[in-house]
Amino acid sequence: MSVIVESQITVIAKADLRRGYYRLTLAPFSKIRSIKPGQFIHLQVPQCEVFFRRAFSIYDVDREKRSLDLIFKVFGRGTTALAKIRKGEQYSILGPLGNSFAMPSKKEKVMLVAGGIGMPPMYFLTKQLIAKKHDPKRILFFYGGYDKADLVDIARIRKLGAKVIPVTENGSSGFKGLVTEAVLKELDGGMERVRMYACGPEPMLRAVDALAVERGIPGQVSLEAPMPCGIGICLGCVKELRAGGHTRVCREGPVYEMGEVVI
Amino acid sequence: MTPDLSVTLAGVKFANPILTASGTCGYGEELADMYDLSELGGIVTKTITLAPRLGHPPPRTAETCSGMLNAIGLANVGVDEFIEQKLTFLEKFDTKVVVNVAGTKAQDYVDLSARLADQPRADMVELNFSCPNVEVGMEIATNAELAEKAVAAVKKVFPRPVIAKLSPNVTDIVSIARACEAGGADALSMINTLVGMAVDIETYRPRLTNNTGGLSGPAIKPVALAMVHKVYRAVKIPIIGIGGIADYRDVIEFFLCGASAVQVGTSLFIDPTGPIKIKRDLLKYLARHRLKSIRELTGQVRIYS
Repeated sequence: MSVIVESQITVIAKADLRRGYYRLTLAPFSKIRSIKPGQFIHLQVPQCEVFFRRAFSIYDVDREKRSLDLIFKVFGRGTTALAKIRKGEQYSILGPLGNSFAMPSKKEKVMLVAGGIGMPPMYFLTKQLIAKKHDPKRILFFYGGYDKADLVDIARIRKLGAKVIPVTENGSSGFKGLVTEAVLKELDGGMERVRMYACGPEPMLRAVDALAVERGIPGQVSLEAPMPCGIGICLGCVKELRAGGHTRVCREGPVYEMGEVVI
Repeated sequence: MTPDLSVTLAGVKFANPILTASGTCGYGEELADMYDLSELGGIVTKTITLAPRLGHPPPRTAETCSGMLNAIGLANVGVDEFIEQKLTFLEKFDTKVVVNVAGTKAQDYVDLSARLADQPRADMVELNFSCPNVEVGMEIATNAELAEKAVAAVKKVFPRPVIAKLSPNVTDIVSIARACEAGGADALSMINTLVGMAVDIETYRPRLTNNTGGLSGPAIKPVALAMVHKVYRAVKIPIIGIGGIADYRDVIEFFLCGASAVQVGTSLFIDPTGPIKIKRDLLKYLARHRLKSIRELTGQVRIYS
């Protein structure tokens, strides 16, 4: 039986989260039970100018309904086309793709660093950690954006029970500054064994990665790259490994150890 | 009765006319995660060079209207690892294996073909004279005399059929096609990508670190069809059509213009299972047109006089 499937999926719900953010619920997906946090799907919104599929981290899954949730922000041609799709329409989905996060030890304090639209895989991982009985009080979810409007679905994250720390550059909510500054402040106040996970814009990932390497904190980052194929056959999404050579973000990634990739 | 999809090129029988194009299916391992490679008529491997190549730095692909630009730079494991690891992986599938090779000079093609000569799993070799992204083979691709000599030299060392893959980036593709035929090529595959460019208007930077790249996908299909049509009328050896094939209708068009088989490339990036759907739809088309075999379609376009 195939690990990866291509199939038609229906838009069950589409929520406008304002300021260009949308949440989609798609179903049914036959591989729903095999999906792990950190994995992504490749969605096709066929148009002349949107030739490739678009990759989206999996935000949440409902195993009973065989549905999955995605969040995206309108940015380029692909997401502009996606913002126009309607409930009830069918699209081709390819997945589940990529590797997934390694689970922490229960002794470790977990710090998740989510920047803007990098939030979905951090949410899915948090949900999984709590399901696996990781103490919610020892899960810190840093959620950074420019404005509080960028902290989409923050109420849903809070419902998981982890400690959510909002961070905004303009100070409209929570800690004022960059998410990495909030992380640094927390690290300086504690002596516990920490494991970090991060997903967000490249400058943020670069900073978190450097911080983790400098302090010897284990953890993983989930990277983003334009992916023509998503399954490892086009070699378009490669990044440079610190140890030398290239890695395919879609196939060997998108999740990498801190310090593994040149970000 | 089920129509026959099998085709025979230069004595090699393919169960169906759908091959996967070089550089769009790796060495088959990833597609094998999704379906049995025995579904394919053949698999054309990623271009193999004598030494391993890392390829160009990213970004090395860019989306375009109905197509893509790529300048991967022939990233590959090199012929030694290819024979040891990749070719052995392909042994378990009932499909034809065409090994695509490239070098910087004619002797490289000869050396590579000689290495593959005693590898029976390499059913055919395809000479990549036409990658537009690296200083590889381009001189051979655009010079009829060099192309003829290179094919003839490879024919001396490789005991099975040899395919010459043609570049569209030439003034007269017919003269190159004829030269390859004269050199002893058993088949032609055409076309490779067209040189193209895209620029980011915010940074003024080209979208590829190689500055230019090869355009592929549905955007180039009309160019490919015109070239296949032209070459079909000028040579006797079979033509494998390539260029923007995404569904069965595209395959039929290529056959009508003179192809005896096809390669599906860029569209695999969008739907890796495409070849299976194409086969299913070809059978329906042939039945609807009361054709016993897809072979009946080759060159049957009814041109206006």
